[in-house]
Amino acid sequence: MKRRALLGLIGTYAALIAAALLVLFPIYWMGITSLKLPREIYRTPSLWPHVFTMNNYRLLLEEKDFLDNIRNSVIVAGAVTAISLVVSSLAAYSMVRFRTRYRGLIGRLILFAYLTPTSLLFIPLSILMARLQLGNSLYGLVLVYLTFSLPLSTWLLQGYFRSVPRSLEEQGMIDGLTRLGALLRIVLPLSGPGLAAVAIFTFTGAWNELLLALVLITSESARTAPLGLNYLITSDVLPWGPLMAGAVLSSMPLMILYFVAQRFMVQGMTTGSVKG
Amino acid sequence: MTTATRRRPPGAGIWGTSQSRFAYTLVLPVVLLLAGLVAYPFLYAIYVAFTDRVVGNDGQWIGLANFRYLAQSPAFSAAVWNTIVLVVASDALKLLIGLGLALLVNRRFRFQGLFRSLLMLPWAMPAFVAFLTWRVLYQPIGGGINLLLTDSGIYPEIVDWLGQRSTAMPAVIAASVWRGFPFWFVSILAALQTIPVELYEAARVDGASAWQRFWAVTFPSIRPVVIITAVLSSIWTANSFENVWLLTQGGPSDATIVFPVLAYFGMQTQRLGEAAAVSVAMLPVLAILVFTGTHMMQRGEDE
Repeated sequence: MKRRALLGLIGTYAALIAAALLVLFPIYWMGITSLKLPREIYRTPSLWPHVFTMNNYRLLLEEKDFLDNIRNSVIVAGAVTAISLVVSSLAAYSMVRFRTRYRGLIGRLILFAYLTPTSLLFIPLSILMARLQLGNSLYGLVLVYLTFSLPLSTWLLQGYFRSVPRSLEEQGMIDGLTRLGALLRIVLPLSGPGLAAVAIFTFTGAWNELLLALVLITSESARTAPLGLNYLITSDVLPWGPLMAGAVLSSMPLMILYFVAQRFMVQGMTTGSVKG
Repeated sequence: MTTATRRRPPGAGIWGTSQSRFAYTLVLPVVLLLAGLVAYPFLYAIYVAFTDRVVGNDGQWIGLANFRYLAQSPAFSAAVWNTIVLVVASDALKLLIGLGLALLVNRRFRFQGLFRSLLMLPWAMPAFVAFLTWRVLYQPIGGGINLLLTDSGIYPEIVDWLGQRSTAMPAVIAASVWRGFPFWFVSILAALQTIPVELYEAARVDGASAWQRFWAVTFPSIRPVVIITAVLSSIWTANSFENVWLLTQGGPSDATIVFPVLAYFGMQTQRLGEAAAVSVAMLPVLAILVFTGTHMMQRGEDE
């Protein structure tokens, strides 16, 4: 019996180490390719480069203006996150604290909007944005990104707000707070970790979006990070080195954030079904 | 639901109707934005699918002509088939891998936390980064997969994974599974951790084998999570654009074309009516999934 348990433990470790290697190898390849000279990518490929270079990063930042793309992404994702947090907090609070007649209907609308895929909406949204003269602008992008960030953040915040005891709010209101005051002074501070998780999810969602950006943005100066990299591979020469440098630059902030905030992000992901 | 709406919160009488007016005011911005940016475009897409709209010309109502055209188009049939293959194959694999790894990690052993974090990394990676990386991995020259296979002697020849019909779809599926299995893994792991240990002990006392314990105790406890994950993951996989677009752009010769990519191509050729018809064509199946998902998530919320 003891022997079997030991064998089982070894088997568990072996399987998990194999899985971990499969998960890590692409990430390793991304990092290592971004540090390789062209000849070590194309002519004499190897698992470990002989020479390390920062040339790919320099090329990407200086010649491809990737910093502009990153800046656009930060602006768009930041604005989407800020708007979503404010608007969704109000809505989620209303949904959790008040039992109005159409509450069930509104709840369904929010979930329905969350599950309606972008691939169904990108054509009408592009027509709509063109009509609003927001076709090729970051404002338009912020607006269309609300289609997925608002339902997600409202849905998640409802869960967090529900866990704040109603009695705390009632106490505050007896002490002279208004309803809005109770939300601002009591519910929001107590939902701090939840707000942080929602902020990370909405920021990531906007940061990662490609299809709508591809459809709406036509000018080079308004390109976001995924768009900048997308246009690197649709050109004739395929510059793997700079491409992977861009991949590293656009994923590192998020992966670090994920490691720091892991615990409540996992919680949010499993309770709220977050695609990521 | 109906009993919940009838129940009045304590103190409802004090606020009366002004309270519900206040409640509606708070949700109004979200409702208006979603009505304008989701509901209206959704209905508008259906309308456009029945017109011959092109960029610069609103077009006219042409009934089912777009759909009739699509039914005869080889690219469309390819997209139908490929989307089904992609969803079924990659979600089945994500379930198997996610379940298997969750069962392993759920045991008591050292480094449990470390493995859980490592296995979740693909989920933390932006999808566009993941698929661009896989694009490089699959390259005949400079790609890590060919290098590993040839260096280790497992397979001596260089394979152009994304460039030939026979391997392109499996390659897209493998990359999609890599990026998508953590969602299954974490969801199932969370469900596993809620199962009381006593249940297993009782089953063991009754003499149940590991296999019997899985079907009698584990599986019934994780079934609801597996079902909702399957519904959500099917919606997302059927509509994923980045994987196919960044890996193969639907090629070689439509071998990996899927609905969203085909619709995007339609937009690029400026034939909006036809492009909208492509996305609307998948609506019947999608609607069932979305309604099921909405229903299940709302029910889960009320419990």
